[in-house]
Amino acid sequence: MFEILSSIFKYIFIIIIYLFIFGIIRLIYLDIRSINEHGKRINEKYPYLKLINRREKLNFKVQESYILDRSKIIGRSSKSDIVIQDPFLSAKHAFIKVEGDKYILEDLESTNGTYVNNRRVENELVLLKNGDRIHIGQLDFLFVRELE
Amino acid sequence: MGKILNYHRPIRMILLINIIAFTLLYLYKESYDYHTILFGLGVIGLINTAYFLLKWGSCGDEYLFLIVAMLVSIGIIMIYRLDKSLGIKQITWFVIGIVLFFLSYFVYQKFNFWDRLIYVYMGCSFILFLLTLLLGKNIQGATNWIVVKGQSIQPSEIIKIFFVFFIASYYKHPEKLKIPPIPVNGKKINIGSDIVLSAAAYMYMGFLVLQREWGSAVLFFIVYFTLLYVFENGKKILLINGILAVLGGIGGFLFVHHIKVRVDVWLNPWKDIAGTGYQITQSLFAIGSGGFFGRGIGLGSPKYIPEVQTDFIFSAICEEMGIFGGTAVVFLFFLLVYRGCKIAMEVENAFNKAVALGITIMFGFQTFIIIGGVIKLIPMTGITLPFVSYGGSSLTTSFIALGILQAISKKAYEVEEELTVAKE
Repeated sequence: MFEILSSIFKYIFIIIIYLFIFGIIRLIYLDIRSINEHGKRINEKYPYLKLINRREKLNFKVQESYILDRSKIIGRSSKSDIVIQDPFLSAKHAFIKVEGDKYILEDLESTNGTYVNNRRVENELVLLKNGDRIHIGQLDFLFVRELE
Repeated sequence: MGKILNYHRPIRMILLINIIAFTLLYLYKESYDYHTILFGLGVIGLINTAYFLLKWGSCGDEYLFLIVAMLVSIGIIMIYRLDKSLGIKQITWFVIGIVLFFLSYFVYQKFNFWDRLIYVYMGCSFILFLLTLLLGKNIQGATNWIVVKGQSIQPSEIIKIFFVFFIASYYKHPEKLKIPPIPVNGKKINIGSDIVLSAAAYMYMGFLVLQREWGSAVLFFIVYFTLLYVFENGKKILLINGILAVLGGIGGFLFVHHIKVRVDVWLNPWKDIAGTGYQITQSLFAIGSGGFFGRGIGLGSPKYIPEVQTDFIFSAICEEMGIFGGTAVVFLFFLLVYRGCKIAMEVENAFNKAVALGITIMFGFQTFIIIGGVIKLIPMTGITLPFVSYGGSSLTTSFIALGILQAISKKAYEVEEELTVAKE
């Protein structure tokens, strides 16, 4: 009895240990990716989203700012471009599209909605301008675009 | 099952491993001892609580503890399977280790004077060395144990941390080791502080050699040499130290009988298979009989290897969990070293940088030396596999070192945040 169980479990054991290692490597990969995004802002001039909330009050990881160098999806899922583990966000929450020098915000049918300057965005495209306040989940962002 | 096996939550995998393993141990040899289940639940609860505390307090790097918790789990399972009473002792040490981990985390963070205590580190180390020489008990050919109230302690484990702190505080304030010029025949001879550092480092190694702890002596040298390589600008001192090491190695081989035996056994263990080569050949048989997936927990016979629960734990893991289990352990140490190096790169303060790097390479090279030894890649030297081997001194000091690394990682992330704010 014990022999059979032990011989089966040894395979399960190996699988679990390697899944664990895979999970850790994945987390580290996500970590490094966020650092690379961080480094970009220093060199290049792109508009960015700036967090207004005090970060200490939030119990999930969020950066002080997110650079918008290309079209980006904001959401909770790790497949989003900007990943924030806010429980009030949808997996794919909002989309910021870059068209030439226009920055357009679109809500991706999120559960809790996307707000620009306290107005809910519903089935429409909103053209973002400097100083717009974007509210998603528990977070408030400022759209900053410095025009020379 | 699918939800439990979700790789997005690595902590669950650790819990699952413990649940399966302790169920197996409960059934092992039809013992049906319900204490085993209780100990298993205890280990799971402890790991979970510690992880929750780290997350909740946002105490810096969260991967360090996850990786180490996995390693400790594998170690405890193996030791418990080999010898129940030792397993229970190891779980006790694990509890103490976790407490010391949080304690060293808070104490290291609380105070800011660690880089100014260079003489304290040196003094404490040498007092401990002298105590070991005077009161030491000879266990397995090495005089490196002090027995206090029936509990044997290995001071060289705690001296490792002092040694790292000593070198780190030198690189923060090199002028502290400067000796005033010595007048000889009317001339004044200047002795640089780097020479004083080298002399002190070799004194550490000399004491270890006196205690016949060859493994630790090699480990101290590698840590010292690596830190020298990273922080020293001149090539001359590196060259001198390298030559000294080569000379020391050759001298040891030629004149110290003990080292010569070890090297001979390494070159050809089959010559004296019943005597000096017994341990390493048994270890090789164990690794070989495991195959890819191992024989299953409780189905192998690792007890043929002498000292299997401390130095040769890796062979036991290879026999019962297979080469895949063994490589998993190596992988976990890789990840641990990677995280440590990243923390060392991110932190700004030179002292913290050196401490983080020193602790990391200490873990890394210790693993290399012992795993290399048991698979006959390098000559065997008796040191423990950090976090996995049985041993109270080794496990608790490893956790103290980990707590310090955790505290530094917290500082590293704080600096990162400050920089971000400053740039806005």
